[in-house]
Amino acid sequence: MTGPRLVSILRQGPYLIASIHTALDDSQMTAFQHDLVDRIGRDRARGVVIDVAALDVLDSFATRTLRTIGEVARLRGAVTVVVGIQPEVAFTMVALGMDTGSLHTALDLEEGLALLDRAVGPRRPVTALRGGAA
Amino acid sequence: MEATGCVGRSAAGASDAVAALIPMVRRIVGARVADVTTAEDLVQETLARVLAASGRVEPGMLEPYAIATARNVVATAWREEDRQRRNRHRVVDLTAPDLPEGGLLAEEERSAVAAALARLSERDREALVAHEVSGRDTRSLATDLGSTAGAVAAQLHRARARLRVEYLLARDRTEPPTDRCRPVLFALSSGDRRRQREVDAGRHLLECDVCAALSQPLLERAPQRDDEVRIPIDGDADVVAARQAARELAGRLGCFSPTDLTLIATAVSEVTRNIVKFAGSGEVVVEVLEQPRRGVQVTARDAGPGIPDVERALQDGYSTYAGLGLGLPGARRLMDEFAIASEVGRGTTVTMTRWCADR
Repeated sequence: MTGPRLVSILRQGPYLIASIHTALDDSQMTAFQHDLVDRIGRDRARGVVIDVAALDVLDSFATRTLRTIGEVARLRGAVTVVVGIQPEVAFTMVALGMDTGSLHTALDLEEGLALLDRAVGPRRPVTALRGGAA
Repeated sequence: MEATGCVGRSAAGASDAVAALIPMVRRIVGARVADVTTAEDLVQETLARVLAASGRVEPGMLEPYAIATARNVVATAWREEDRQRRNRHRVVDLTAPDLPEGGLLAEEERSAVAAALARLSERDREALVAHEVSGRDTRSLATDLGSTAGAVAAQLHRARARLRVEYLLARDRTEPPTDRCRPVLFALSSGDRRRQREVDAGRHLLECDVCAALSQPLLERAPQRDDEVRIPIDGDADVVAARQAARELAGRLGCFSPTDLTLIATAVSEVTRNIVKFAGSGEVVVEVLEQPRRGVQVTARDAGPGIPDVERALQDGYSTYAGLGLGLPGARRLMDEFAIASEVGRGTTVTMTRWCADR
């Protein structure tokens, strides 16, 4: 890949923080989905925060991809929170009639991490031991 | 040196004596001239001169004679080189040489123009030749024809547009495959947007490869409009390009809120994705409307398989691929106007508009 990174997936304790930095096309979105699901397994993540604050459009495909990530992550034992949905994007998603279903959302990264702490529970010592090698 | 003693006695002796000088001459020249081949040339020239003079040179003086000759030869070479460098700019010929095929191309060009002129109506041809070749102005032409200057100008404009189309056809030696081609090309050539809409030029260019190729020079000569963007759609990345172009153009109007812009961009994203998914390629045109109200209109067209049941495709949750089934119905909810025309086997055109908020 050339140029600046489109997305970054960083580890923060038992959580993964995935930030999308720029508008992604459908194949890039799908690649992101695969990368993230892959990292959940490798890093034994218990929670995932997806930061979409940089996206100016969340259309049906992007929403569906986020929902798929949430479902797949749940089956893999991780909780997913989408943070940073811009107000006009949120309004458009409602107008479009998109069902965000079981997807957890939070206002920003801080709220997202707090939500994960509540949902996953404070079990950091155990994960820290397990994930120590990574 | 013993060899020098033999000089003058015989030619063979002389050349032997000169041959013995070779290493020394090489050293002298080599010390002054860096380039090996040039140095070797100068060495040879020195030796030739020494050999020629060997009969006249006193025995025993051949070596100093060779040294002096070598120095002179080198000095002459330097002077010559300097002179050439000073005059080098005079050698350059800035006029481009005639291409070997130039004459032939000019001939083809002439015959294409002649063929195109021949296909115009007699009235158009006469007016065009009188104006462009004989330099008659529109007013004097108008008095001749019993018409007004404005009408003559309009006629000339149409004649030129037709001439451009006929020229392109004659140049490529093609005959348009359908009878829709000529009207479409003519509408593009004259830059008449109302006429282009009437003959549905955009759709025809997607369907007809001949016209798509021929129209390139016609479209290029049209002035760049800043109230219209045309985005060719060929893959995933173009979906993003189309929605960003739509947001950019709509944003320039200044009458849309950030939410409106996001609604428009999302709607464009949905309809453009349909092109990529079902037709593979097509085009999206975003243009500013002034009539009947100020707004932005998006036209997404493809020459794909078409939609067999448009009514059903507009229902929520109907999806032929693993989507949310929100593409078309969602886009319809986001825009103020939404129209879809689809014909199985010919393609689909979605036209949607969002009006500026009343102030």
